[in-house]
Amino acid sequence: MSGGDTKVWERSTPAREAALAAFVLAVSTGAAFVLRPHVAATNLVMVYLVGVVAVAMRCSRRTSMATSLLSVAAFDFFCVPPYLTFRVSDYQYLITFSAMLITALVISTQTARIRNHAAEVMAREARNETLYRLSRRLAGQGMVMDVARLAAEYAEEVFEGRIVIFLPEDGKIDFRRRSSDRLPVPTSEEPAAQWAFDHGEISGRGLPAMGTASALYIPLKGARETVGIMGVAPAARGRISSEQLQLLEVVANQTAMAIERTRSQHAAEVARMRMETEQMRSSLLSAVSHDLRTPLASITGAASALRAQGDKLQPETRQELLESIADEAERLSRLVSNLLDMTRLESGVELRRDYYPLEEIVGAALQRMDRQLERRQVATSLPDTLPLVYADDVLLGQLIVNLLENATKYTPEGTPIELTAQASPGFVVLEIRDRGPGFGPEEEKRIFEKFYRGRSDGSRGVGLGLAICRAVADAHQGTIEAFNREGGGAVFRMRIPSKESS
Amino acid sequence: MKALILIVEDDPQIRRFLRATLTAEGYLYYEALTADEGIQQANTRRPDLILLDLGLPDHDGLDVIRQVRDGSQTPIVVLSARGQENDKIAALDLGADDYVAKPFGVGELLARIRAALRRSATAAMPEGSALRFGRVEVDLDKRLVRVGGEDVHLTPNEYRLLQILLKYPGKVLTQRQLLNEVWGPNHLEQAQYLRVYIAQLRRKLESDPARPKHLQTEPGIGYRLVVE
Repeated sequence: MSGGDTKVWERSTPAREAALAAFVLAVSTGAAFVLRPHVAATNLVMVYLVGVVAVAMRCSRRTSMATSLLSVAAFDFFCVPPYLTFRVSDYQYLITFSAMLITALVISTQTARIRNHAAEVMAREARNETLYRLSRRLAGQGMVMDVARLAAEYAEEVFEGRIVIFLPEDGKIDFRRRSSDRLPVPTSEEPAAQWAFDHGEISGRGLPAMGTASALYIPLKGARETVGIMGVAPAARGRISSEQLQLLEVVANQTAMAIERTRSQHAAEVARMRMETEQMRSSLLSAVSHDLRTPLASITGAASALRAQGDKLQPETRQELLESIADEAERLSRLVSNLLDMTRLESGVELRRDYYPLEEIVGAALQRMDRQLERRQVATSLPDTLPLVYADDVLLGQLIVNLLENATKYTPEGTPIELTAQASPGFVVLEIRDRGPGFGPEEEKRIFEKFYRGRSDGSRGVGLGLAICRAVADAHQGTIEAFNREGGGAVFRMRIPSKESS
Repeated sequence: MKALILIVEDDPQIRRFLRATLTAEGYLYYEALTADEGIQQANTRRPDLILLDLGLPDHDGLDVIRQVRDGSQTPIVVLSARGQENDKIAALDLGADDYVAKPFGVGELLARIRAALRRSATAAMPEGSALRFGRVEVDLDKRLVRVGGEDVHLTPNEYRLLQILLKYPGKVLTQRQLLNEVWGPNHLEQAQYLRVYIAQLRRKLESDPARPKHLQTEPGIGYRLVVE
């Protein structure tokens, strides 16, 4: 991480470096002094060279070069006779000095270069790591402000200083739309930020544009437009290095891209929802208007016939018209109820759940369906040992009524309907089975969709009954599914949470 | 003597159809269009039964029940919209006798009116007599219950529950009312007890407990003992 390196650099102030160099020189000289009686003078050069390498590894190029020069001088002074003078008795030593100096300088330069290179590589790696983590963190944020907040927080972790991102509103930076309050922008600096936003270039502190500002303003340039401004106030009075500036710019770009991505996701989501709502509304309207009008037309027709020609009509005809009025009105009432139920369920109705014997809910549903089930054989088999179900009795009753209604609508008169239940861990599994035509291929998946209507002769509904069933099952954290029955017919199976589950 | 019915309803179309129906059945009626008017007429006309719409322009229909019940046992049948379970329960708890949910058919309405009138006529149930409904015989003196001629053992609470239901044949009793009568006012929230006891009673008295003929559930509201 670059922070750690920066710290090493900070500690290597010139004074510290000088001290280190002096220490190394002293040690080298001490060693040379001890070795001098036993070793040829030219070999003592090596002792100094080791010292130069040691200094070069820790200090700047300038210090290590100075150390090189001083080493040559020390070597001359202490190790070349006459001792303790810079004079040289044997002029061959001049070759030793030159070779020593050149070697020391080369070592200093190379070591410094290698070290710089290593530092660069590490810095680059650290930067990539930073950006990678930043982009990971910014990905999948649902809100633009969340992206801005996370990016600013992240940038602050990396650079010591205060960083705040400002977002625009109607083509101008809105200083109230900010990621945090850590960098209050005085009104006098607002033009600097706005300038950076308008021109897409950095402005502020020490730069050609708006150089008198106290902070830096970096534009967040996305692929299409500038999406905001990053304000940077360094912690120390020191200036921001060009390397740091580069990194800040890269972070700004990443942030801009993340903001753009979030915006377009948001826009796409809104568009998708609008389309779905639109589609739903139009299919609802067409279904509802058709289904409301048809019974209304029959009622109006029959009633007006009775009113206008009452005495001229045969008694049987009158009876027929009256029956059609009653039937159609009942259908209309069912339809409105279904629509209301669906709306209620979709708007997230609160369940009034309690523990009920399933028998009681089934019993009430069968009672409600009494007339429609007159010509049907309904076989119920509910074991006495069933646990209580945890349900909203009215809604679960509605679910069962809808399934029974569905069965009467889509299966021929006189065919049997079976209703059975059994316990399974945490649930009661209720099945309603018929001997009707069953489902067409893939149809069993679609029947629970809103406004889906199965093929049937004569029976008309809006296609909400089973959608309500699914909504009720979902609201209970239960499930409902449908499949073809062995030997012909349909099975609806639902799982309702039971007493053991809670 | 023809029964006198007070209609408290603001919707003219519904009043029109109620008028037609009641006339055809030979009932006499008065009409009130607001809650205030209804309360006033209930006091002055002394009707045998009140048909009460809950959604009135001036006050809540529940206020009418409160006022009327303050000193009179005139049967009240509530006309309510579907889905207003809470209103129905509140009306029944306040002392309404029954309800019909709009839209309702004439048959259903007349049945409720007849049952309520009959109950109020025989309000003082002859103690000590034997009662019958379907295959069930109850000897109130000896506390004996027979189904299809065979003795059936009921626990004290089951018997108590059956007794309450028998006291108001055909009337919807809310869960609260039943809990209060059988278990006392400290157990009003324990509807689960009630359901389990009803289920047990059904198993003992009904031939098909999943399709009860007598101990009927009013979903979300309570229970009704159907005797005919």
